[in-house]
Amino acid sequence: MIRFTWLQFRPQARVALAALVAFAVLLVVTGPHLAGLYASSGIIACHAGACATAASRFLSLLAITSPYPIVYELGIGLILAAPAISGVFWGAPLISRELENRTFDLVWTQSITRTRWLLAKLALIGLAAMAVTEALSLSYAWWADPISKAIGLQGPYPVVSEFGGVRLSLVIFASHGITPLGYAAFGFTLGTATGAYIRRAVPAMAVTLAIFAAVQVGMPLWVRPHLIPPDRTVVSGPSFVASAGVNLGNLTASIVPGRPGAWITSSGAINAAGQPVSTVPGACVPPPPAKPPDPGRCLGSRGIREAITYQPASRYWPLQWIETGIFLALALALAGVCFWRLGRSRT
Amino acid sequence: MKFAVEAAGLGKQYGRRWALRDCTLAIPPGKVVGLVGPNGAGKTTLLHLAVGLLEPTSGSIRVLGASPADGPAQLARVGFVAQDTPVYARLSVAQHLQMGAWLNPGWDAGVAESRIKQLDLDPRQRAGTLSGGQRAQLALTLAIAKRPECLILDEPVASLDPLARREFLRSLMEIVAAQGISVVLSSHLIADLERVCDYLVVLVASRVQVAGEVSDLLASHHRLSGARRDASSLPASQEVIEESHTDKQSTFLVRTSDHVHDPAWTARPVTLDDLVIAYMSRTAASERAYRPQLKVMS
Repeated sequence: MIRFTWLQFRPQARVALAALVAFAVLLVVTGPHLAGLYASSGIIACHAGACATAASRFLSLLAITSPYPIVYELGIGLILAAPAISGVFWGAPLISRELENRTFDLVWTQSITRTRWLLAKLALIGLAAMAVTEALSLSYAWWADPISKAIGLQGPYPVVSEFGGVRLSLVIFASHGITPLGYAAFGFTLGTATGAYIRRAVPAMAVTLAIFAAVQVGMPLWVRPHLIPPDRTVVSGPSFVASAGVNLGNLTASIVPGRPGAWITSSGAINAAGQPVSTVPGACVPPPPAKPPDPGRCLGSRGIREAITYQPASRYWPLQWIETGIFLALALALAGVCFWRLGRSRT
Repeated sequence: MKFAVEAAGLGKQYGRRWALRDCTLAIPPGKVVGLVGPNGAGKTTLLHLAVGLLEPTSGSIRVLGASPADGPAQLARVGFVAQDTPVYARLSVAQHLQMGAWLNPGWDAGVAESRIKQLDLDPRQRAGTLSGGQRAQLALTLAIAKRPECLILDEPVASLDPLARREFLRSLMEIVAAQGISVVLSSHLIADLERVCDYLVVLVASRVQVAGEVSDLLASHHRLSGARRDASSLPASQEVIEESHTDKQSTFLVRTSDHVHDPAWTARPVTLDDLVIAYMSRTAASERAYRPQLKVMS
């Protein structure tokens, strides 16, 4: 059954391989020049304070050098889209098209049980979906390595915003490490199970895309911040200003003092009574030409502090494992749904 | 005796509608069985139950003495050609044979290849571009090259033109003659089957109306005509299947195991066509609750 699955899957596998090769060529062509720019940026030999400056200079240069910003965004987009594509084009038609064309009449009356049939299909194509997505992710991580390093060195207040944030930031987290494996397994089995229920390929493809997109957006916004109970801290005085940085106007934190690379899941100013404060007192940021007071002292004297909820950078791998584990468990459950649905009494 | 197909109280319900009910059959092995009935009578449901694509709502069915689709061994013993002979449109003829070889341990590559050659099919041609007749032949090739003990075909010739129909049935008969396997094939037209089958099952309105060896059925049914009289005046041993009356004359199609001796009658043998039509129209009539005195006896 593995051989027959491969025979039927071959055209789709060829398309995926062609896309993968095209992407790899793009990375291989542009990668060495990117690494060259990094080597000549002075980052490698930098000391302490000079590193942030060198990193910012490097990223500023990249941001206006074609094609790096485009390849950077394209890569992340592709890694995030690959699981959805495998769910829509490989998963959704897997069972529904057999039902639609009535070819299950043919294949389920060969000397093979439908359990074996489904097992081979899910295993082979599911592993292919995971392999393609992870291959995209790993090759991209190799290409973007200088950029990731520079972002890490850039210091607390990123000057260049064309490139994504720290490793724990939303899209960087979902497109790097092992999470692409989980998303791919989930996307593919979601498509297969949807097809088994809807029984028509095109509607199943649309529903798969909608559900997957909702999960992909909902996960980082509502689930990931709570996978491990987040840390909380309250900063005041000069630390507050350091934390808010360029965001002082709207009183949200952009860094956690003393916690480089932390992922801030929520932040806001509170007053002495612990109630939220939504605007900066006018006296602390008077309109020009009045001379502004020291904002840290000004806010501190009014009892205004910054409350920050965050995940420290050290939780990158624990969060990766948990999120991947959740999606792999969901994928197994959806595979179980497919087996149950294909039971003889229900077709 | 191990029956080719044995059903007891078999029924299949979809929602509130019974597609097949109270089906009890015992078809001996080695027969070519014609399953005849109008469209929607439940033929496909019965055949899908026999190959295990469906599970019964009530009762049981056994094929070659075992439960259908009960593991790969049982699947290997039954060949199936589905209605409209679905194939994988994008796979070539040769790839279909490859599929058969991979998925069937008893696959006979020699039979498959010689049939494809004999049918003059191009192995590289995509199955989606085959004509209806060629596709049916490909499906039949797949079903017989797995060397089944029982071959089940669902309306195999319904969508074929008369020439392709004759070719297909001739191929089928060659296989039956060569391999001596049991065959069940369905059609809504008795004309398709009367030359090939030696056992007949008439299925109308989701119930089996009559089943038996063709020779027995022909011997036990008679068309009687004579002076006009009422059906109730016939002996109890004669079951009236169909009756028609003019002012002076009555004609009955009766089923009886006895000879008809009554000199008042002219008894003529029936054709298979007459017999099937009679059972079909009787059901239609009883469904309209017309002639309620005629109870269906089974």
